Amino acid sequence: MLAAPMRSLMFRLLSQPLRLPAFLGPAPRPDDPQIFRFNSERGTIISDVVRRVAQHYAGQPDRLLYLLNEAGNAEVRRLASQGDLEASDALGAWRRLIKRVGKMSEEERRAELREIVARMTGDIAGNFDVRVYGLATKIIPGLLTAIMSPGDLPRQLLSGFRALDERIIAEGPIDKLRRLAKVGTLVLVPTHSSNLDSVALGYVLMREQLPPVVYGAGKNLFSNPLLSFFMHNLGAYRVDRRISAQLYKETLKTYSCMMIERGYHSLFFPGGTRSRSGLVERRLKLGLAGTGVEAFARNQARGISRPVYFVPATLNYALVLEAETLIDDHLKGAGQSRYIIDDDESGQAERWFRFFTKLSQLRSAMVLRFGEPLDPFCNPIDDEGRSLSPSGRTVDPASYVKFRGVATVDAARDAGYTRELGDAIAREYQRSTVILWTQLVAHILYRQLVAQTPELDLFGRQRVRGATMPRSQLEAEVGEARDRLLAFAAAGLVHVGPVLQSQSPEKIVAEALTAWSGYHTRPAASAKGGDIVIEDPNLLLFYQNRLVPFAEELATPETLTAARTIAALGGRT
Amino acid sequence: MKIGVVGGGAFAWALAHAVRRTGSEVLMWSRRPQREAGAGISLVALPALAAAELIFFAVPSPVLPELARELGQHLDGGHYLVHVSRGIVGDGLMTLSQVLRSVTPCRRVGALAGPLVAAALESGAPGGGVIASRFPEVHAAVREAIGGKRLRIYSSEDVIGAEFASTAVGLLAMAVGYVQGIGLGPATLAVMASRGMAECTRIGVQLGGRVETFAGLAGHGDLLAAVAGDGRPELAVGRELAAGTLLADIRRQGGAYVEGIESARRIAAYAQRTGARAPLVSMCADVFDRKIGSAEVVELLMSRAVGGE
Repeated sequence: MLAAPMRSLMFRLLSQPLRLPAFLGPAPRPDDPQIFRFNSERGTIISDVVRRVAQHYAGQPDRLLYLLNEAGNAEVRRLASQGDLEASDALGAWRRLIKRVGKMSEEERRAELREIVARMTGDIAGNFDVRVYGLATKIIPGLLTAIMSPGDLPRQLLSGFRALDERIIAEGPIDKLRRLAKVGTLVLVPTHSSNLDSVALGYVLMREQLPPVVYGAGKNLFSNPLLSFFMHNLGAYRVDRRISAQLYKETLKTYSCMMIERGYHSLFFPGGTRSRSGLVERRLKLGLAGTGVEAFARNQARGISRPVYFVPATLNYALVLEAETLIDDHLKGAGQSRYIIDDDESGQAERWFRFFTKLSQLRSAMVLRFGEPLDPFCNPIDDEGRSLSPSGRTVDPASYVKFRGVATVDAARDAGYTRELGDAIAREYQRSTVILWTQLVAHILYRQLVAQTPELDLFGRQRVRGATMPRSQLEAEVGEARDRLLAFAAAGLVHVGPVLQSQSPEKIVAEALTAWSGYHTRPAASAKGGDIVIEDPNLLLFYQNRLVPFAEELATPETLTAARTIAALGGRT
Repeated sequence: MKIGVVGGGAFAWALAHAVRRTGSEVLMWSRRPQREAGAGISLVALPALAAAELIFFAVPSPVLPELARELGQHLDGGHYLVHVSRGIVGDGLMTLSQVLRSVTPCRRVGALAGPLVAAALESGAPGGGVIASRFPEVHAAVREAIGGKRLRIYSSEDVIGAEFASTAVGLLAMAVGYVQGIGLGPATLAVMASRGMAECTRIGVQLGGRVETFAGLAGHGDLLAAVAGDGRPELAVGRELAAGTLLADIRRQGGAYVEGIESARRIAAYAQRTGARAPLVSMCADVFDRKIGSAEVVELLMSRAVGGE
């Protein structure tokens, strides 16, 4: 057993991510993305965050007192219930603060505020090491290939990882995004389905020669030393979701805002957490992503006209690593309370292995589709980075943050824009969704299950096992629905993945059954003679949920009633 | 300060006069101006309205999209647009603030709802209304433009709720006029008004509105003023329909009623398509289209299965 001070030291060492010595690193070139300069700016950024938060409370002694009290009490509550090394390290200081804060002079309180915010920002702020980035660009494709098909590595090395490129497809206005990254700051706002999302996104950004982005990753992801080393040195900042103190949230927002103001391309998952239901997010609050609006306004007010571009994107997986836990959580209605799932499939090495083995057998296992970029005021952007009005005229984005001709910072106004933007991004998600073959087959099977169980509610239906559908009927309905999807795709309402575009309905069904067998504990459905047997209605629900917005349009007169029940799962827009 | 007004009907002029009372200057555009411009009210070409920060749209919903699109060519993100319409457009029940956002570059939009009628607004009789917008500066601008000691302008962030409540009141006021016209008593009228509003609330909430908005000044409050006899054109149209006057003849008398008829049709069709329950609104649509007569209305109103309220 280690002595308390030693344990505390060990805790500190382990909780501080490893960095390489700074003086050995190469100097950034002028056309490098801003993130290459992060390390030299890190100290300034932290002190700017401290100054801004402190300024916000200057002249508001009552609010400052409340804020410190609230932070103290929230942290004492959290740490006391955690009871870990972090608690023994920090609990005393917070307890002392609660005791003393009432008696402090205002000057002392302000000093305390600055100290706490500096500590919090130091914990949040990441690092960017060009050498680690260079290493990552070289080894990640190899790493992914090695996991997905180890025997294939030498050949893949020679062929430049073509197989990986075939499995992870990137679509959308990528050339335009490369140009926009040079004239403005990108704020990527993708859908969130899996812990694999940030890895897949990072890989695609590298492969497509898009600049690296900073993003806030849950602190729990930093507990793995190797992952932590890469994430920390590639610009990720740490978000501790367990901390409920208002001051922490404000510090985090200020940090994120300041990064965008300084031109750091950023990534946020505006849905907040992974979609438990498998539905594409339809209502977005944006959260930290909303700081992109404030950052634009703050720059304008200072006379800096650098544009901010929001880039919606959808991540579409034929198989989702954590599908079983996610849908289970959704059905339990526990999605909110179990904000951080730490016992899902992504924590099990064996599941990762099975998942990647499975992926390696699938064509186009994952499609990342970038949507059309928007300015902070929901206007589309032309190829040169200018905002466009509905009539196609260019419009000055600065006009949205001006009051009687002067650019201002106004939190209430920006909250209005942020809500508008949340709606616009959710609409773009819908258009940018790529329907994959496993999802369509799941939808047709689930529709059949609903039609067979009209008397059951959702929960009753999820308990039904062994429902069947004749394979020939499934293939016919898949074919019909696929043709309609292709028509929607032609009309620009949605996108359709490569297998659905090119294969026969028989092949589509066969490939879906293959994809499901072997990875999940129980396949969603499997073949038995001339029938398809529904084995796991929960998984089926998860995969088919991507099609909920199109359920009614895909239905035939005979299946319309069931399709309406399915459409109701998504609520109304 | 300059305030823009699009429209030349009674309500547009009433707004112009309300603006004048607060001391601002009015830039007004109308396709066929029916009155002479007065002191502080100038009739101008549509693009010239861009000189105003706040622009009111007081035109019927069918013409609003095109006018907004045309004016939108001259506007940017600095303009605030507020409409006073009781209509909705399209099969998906699109509200007019959504239209304004989609056809112009303006984002700071809002809807003026509640018991505001042309005569009272023009004469400066005491009253109140609701300005619904996601943007506090729009609330402030409208208050500054027309609010004052005699006109209380409450603010709300529930834009869709206020717009849909206002639409509901437009059609329910017609229904109330009709029920009165065929000689039914206050209790039937109350059933029609409150159950009709309950249906509209359900659909409004589905569309993203808040229940409280329908219970407030933009919903029940507005309907109360209509029933109490604030000279609402919709009520008069309802009575005319009950008396058997043909729609075409009523149409020659004025414009406000068109919204209620179209709204009833659209809401009824939407309810049928989405499975939402709206039997009274559907009945209103049938009455306005003369698919059913007064005898059937009484039968329908009274023979429906009664359940929990």
